[in-house]
Amino acid sequence: MAGGSGAEIDHIFKLLLIGDSGVGKSSLLLRFTADTFDDLSPTIGVDFKLKLLTMSGKRLKLTIWDTAGQERFRTLTSSYYRSAQGVILVYDVTRRDTFTDLSDVWLKEVELYSTNPDCIKMLVGNKVDRDAERVVSKQEGIAFARQYGCLFLECSAKTRANVQLCFEELVQKILDTPSLIADTKAFKKNLLRPDEPYTPQSAPGAGNCTC
Amino acid sequence: MEELGSVHRYAAGALLAIALNQAQIHRLQLVPDILGSDDGPSMSNTLEDQGVLPWSSQEFGLLHHIFGYLKIDPHAWPGIEKTAEAADAKHHIGPYIRILQEENLETASKSSASSGNSPSSTNSSSSTGKPEKTLAALAKAVDAMTISLEEYAASRPEPAHARAVEDATSSEEAYKQNDKRSSKPKSASAQKSAQRWASMKKPLLDRAASSSDLSHKDTKKKTDRASAYDASSSEPEDKEASERRILVAQRKVAVLYELLTACVADTPEEKAGKSVLNAGYDARQRVALRLLALWLDVDWKKVAAMELMVAYMAMEAEKVREEERAASHTDDEHKTTKWQKWKRGGIIGAAAVTGGALLALTGGLAAPAIAAGLTALAPAFAAVVPAVGIGGLATAVGSAAGSVAVAASFGAAGAGLAGTKMARRTGGVDEFMFLPIGDNHQQGRLAVGIVISGIAMEAEDYTLPWEGSDGELERYALRWESKELIALSTAIEDWLASSAARELVKAGAMMTVLAGLVAALAWPVALLSATDWIDSRWTIAVDRADKAGKILAKCLLGGSQGNRPVTLIGFSLGARVIFSCLEYLAKKGNDASIVERVVLLGAPLTLDRQRWENARKVVAGRFINAYSSNDWILGVVYRSSFMTTGLAGIQKVEIPGVENIDVSDIISGHSMYLAKTKEILAALDLDSFFPIYPSKLEGPLDPDSP
Repeated sequence: MAGGSGAEIDHIFKLLLIGDSGVGKSSLLLRFTADTFDDLSPTIGVDFKLKLLTMSGKRLKLTIWDTAGQERFRTLTSSYYRSAQGVILVYDVTRRDTFTDLSDVWLKEVELYSTNPDCIKMLVGNKVDRDAERVVSKQEGIAFARQYGCLFLECSAKTRANVQLCFEELVQKILDTPSLIADTKAFKKNLLRPDEPYTPQSAPGAGNCTC
Repeated sequence: MEELGSVHRYAAGALLAIALNQAQIHRLQLVPDILGSDDGPSMSNTLEDQGVLPWSSQEFGLLHHIFGYLKIDPHAWPGIEKTAEAADAKHHIGPYIRILQEENLETASKSSASSGNSPSSTNSSSSTGKPEKTLAALAKAVDAMTISLEEYAASRPEPAHARAVEDATSSEEAYKQNDKRSSKPKSASAQKSAQRWASMKKPLLDRAASSSDLSHKDTKKKTDRASAYDASSSEPEDKEASERRILVAQRKVAVLYELLTACVADTPEEKAGKSVLNAGYDARQRVALRLLALWLDVDWKKVAAMELMVAYMAMEAEKVREEERAASHTDDEHKTTKWQKWKRGGIIGAAAVTGGALLALTGGLAAPAIAAGLTALAPAFAAVVPAVGIGGLATAVGSAAGSVAVAASFGAAGAGLAGTKMARRTGGVDEFMFLPIGDNHQQGRLAVGIVISGIAMEAEDYTLPWEGSDGELERYALRWESKELIALSTAIEDWLASSAARELVKAGAMMTVLAGLVAALAWPVALLSATDWIDSRWTIAVDRADKAGKILAKCLLGGSQGNRPVTLIGFSLGARVIFSCLEYLAKKGNDASIVERVVLLGAPLTLDRQRWENARKVVAGRFINAYSSNDWILGVVYRSSFMTTGLAGIQKVEIPGVENIDVSDIISGHSMYLAKTKEILAALDLDSFFPIYPSKLEGPLDPDSP
């Protein structure tokens, strides 16, 4: 990224994809950013993608961190929760353990490491194209989402069903949450960097703002 | 390579990337005045904000060959780079270090995620016992090397003292850091500068408990060196915990070793058709390693020992390759293919291209002669590494001799011989030559030091002020324009001895002058008239210093130091030589690949912000300005500029990334630098990443920071 991103960006959001290994986080992201589908090898550490989006008249820059689901990387990914406005929890509708792990493992990680108390969580059941093998029903997903206060969608990175929508809903919700966009706005004025951390001591931000 | 799991290797690569950028950020910040209460402007922590390309970015080519060497999946590279570039990168340091402390999880993950582990990792997980053994062997070798180096240094009477002082200060500092860690850095009461530092050292904070134990162990090692060898291997007091701790420490050493090898190794990498020669051991990489060693709580001395080991390995590998080359050499071979071979080898080709043209200029900082280095080191190694043996070590750790062509770092071998005089008058300078000093020559040291005197009463003064501890540097003194310099120095001395000057000193006129409150009009008439005849000599010397700096820069650009990071230290006009050199490097678009550290003592340089910032840009690591407000000679000879813009040798330089140290109490006159430089340098502790001395040096060494 060569700094000069041309058009004015209204908000910069940091999103995070988490969930067990093999649920399709990277595929989901690849579908969203490049609209392709590929047989991907497991993510090593973290991956990063950028996506520009215009929603309700706002120009948005999404910085999306795609974390490795494998347990061996768990320690390492903990610091990526920092200052994320949105977290996408992905499970595989054909593997129940990936669903139960969300509450057993991943939600706890979010609680533990997220620095944005209002951070939006989105529950995503992937691989709905393999309906025959489905073991987690949509109702269960809805119940889960209600219980933990998440948004919910089922999608398929393979058939591209709902993929776009899933990111858009999340972003819309972030846009609707004043406490989340307050920060990103401040950064927009002061910093070009997308993933500036939310630092409590610099919270007012307006102090630097000469507008 | 299998000694470190793929996760550990990944983390190692990422940590180096982060360290690179953090070191770069550190360079752009106003160095906090440790004692003083002034708080620098709060800087945003991103490089891009300041319109600077991060060192981790591809353009600099500092990382990709390392990732490749570490066998990190190329798919993971962008993620690492982005992580390192992110504004909150320093928050990632902790987790990445913590993962190094975790056991190799490969086996555990294999059962759960059988879907597609990389083939290399499956191989390694089959036998968990062996890699641990090699880790231990490596750690032991490094320990032994460190100890033998220290003993070697201690065997020389003079430097031994300096070393001991350094040891004391550094261990003292370690304890202080521990204290800092234990106090919560987020508490509002904490000093601002301390806070910033603490946040830089956050990872250390994260594991305060274990590391303090480790540093205890370290100090113990220092006190009784003899038993240190056993201490690391046979001391199973609290069994598992200590075993684990040892393993973690060993792993950290291995990580640094791997990274170091990767930095030095020349992985043949083709970039869009043309094969690009790795620039060797880059100054920025060394600075990043220095920071990383601090994060990992590994003593830099150990890293210095590793540098030697890696160098030795590289030389060995090169020897083998040389022999193969000689064996397979045939006359009908086409010239270009031979050329390519050389390029891949990285040794002679570089010399022919860069060395040849500049041979006349270089005056010859010799690259370590490979054969000589081998013989010098071989006995030491045989004694030091009995457990693994050289070959064993080479194959065990990184298989340096394998697919990886090593050692572009030794670059232009034999581009010149140390001490060769300049063939003829060049660039308006009559004399310009490097004199090897210290004992570290021809030993495969991976860092070069060039020291430059700026006052000289006699020829000896070019080398004498610099005698003493070499540290890990292969040092050269630059002798330049001795005629002019001696003339100037004597002129000043003579004038000082004159009664007029003595009267002035007695009257305290000089102090008034330097208070900076007196307008130029109010200068004592006697002072002005007396200095007239110094001025002409001074002007000539300054001019020559600037020219010599340019030549020095050309030498460095030509690679006569052998593509190794260079530390430049100079006092008085010597500092001016360095500054001119830096400016020339900046003009030529060098991006901090060569110069690692700079120390300017009593520099006759005006405070032109733009020029200082330019000079700062080409220095990867610390940039120190030592000044003495008692240095009135400097004030006198430079009175015009001193009055208007300020003078570096007399006052602070408020430029981001420049450390200032007040040596007023040590330096009461300009020529004092001749005698006191050694002392000041010892106090600076150049080996640490952060400045750990008080901003003012008082009397004889008393490094008491708050």
